[in-house]
Amino acid sequence: MAIINLKEKKIQVKIVYYGPGRSGKTTNLRYIFKKLQEKYGESLKSNLISIDTKGERTLFLDFLPVGLGQINGLDLNLQLYTTPGQVIYESTRKLVLRGVDGVVFVADSLATRKEANVESYQNLLTNLKEYGLTTEDIGLAFQWNKQDLQEKGIPVMDAKSMEDLLQVGQDVPTFSASALQGTNVLKTLNIVAKLTVSKVLKKMIGIEG
Amino acid sequence: MLTEEKVNRLEASLAKLLDDAGATYAFLADMGGNLICSAGRSDFDGTSLAVLSAANFAATREMASLIGEKDFSLLFHRGENENIHFTRINPDVLLIVLFKPYLSLGLLRLKVENVKKEIASVF
Repeated sequence: MAIINLKEKKIQVKIVYYGPGRSGKTTNLRYIFKKLQEKYGESLKSNLISIDTKGERTLFLDFLPVGLGQINGLDLNLQLYTTPGQVIYESTRKLVLRGVDGVVFVADSLATRKEANVESYQNLLTNLKEYGLTTEDIGLAFQWNKQDLQEKGIPVMDAKSMEDLLQVGQDVPTFSASALQGTNVLKTLNIVAKLTVSKVLKKMIGIEG
Repeated sequence: MLTEEKVNRLEASLAKLLDDAGATYAFLADMGGNLICSAGRSDFDGTSLAVLSAANFAATREMASLIGEKDFSLLFHRGENENIHFTRINPDVLLIVLFKPYLSLGLLRLKVENVKKEIASVF
């Protein structure tokens, strides 16, 4: 749950990158971290924390705090998390989702990962429900990752197919992306951050962000 | 929402705990991993510590549940330069205290118990 600290004049929101295993959640955060390092160099205070296996699969979480300027006179801090995507890590995935304010659903556009995407999205809805939440209560955006593989002749589902597969509502933003190349990674983050803050401000103090 | 008055009261309670127990650093985190406030040494990365503390605490609770325990009564890690002690203030808030190894864990736990109600009353 978001924290608004009126003494320090800051608002802190939690955004979780969710999706099936190997869909590109960690790659998103790594790209964002790389861009922050390029922009701020040694003055960057944020650190990317990863609890992962030796095979570089997320075991528990990745975490990256990002400052995103000011909103309504408050410093906006995003707490970005990823969840472990593999099915066996369900219990830890649920723990990471606690207190979520916004979600980026990172789907794997590979044609062979159709069912994994559906299973993961259903899992997200179930876990949100356990916390008394629906997708209406949070900022939500979808990212159709690995779209760049099409150029290499690997079968991927296009954006329309992905939207139909996951029954994405008309008002929910979606982005075709390549987390590896950085395509639409920052755009996804910006939009989901705006949506999330808007929901949080409306919920907490009844104003539109 | 944390008003200025609430944050001041929490910071005062943490500062008092550090004084009474001789501890190094104390902070409050919620179970979502947010740092609420802190007191003591300023060179620790409180933001990351809050995230990992919440994750650690949550994971340990799940382990307790798997082995048929309601909860563990003590969550504490001993280090060479700093020990770290976790306690739950209420279902959503954790108090984490870093203290030197030469300080008594028993005394720290006593001081933490003394300050718990004070902190809980702010939320």
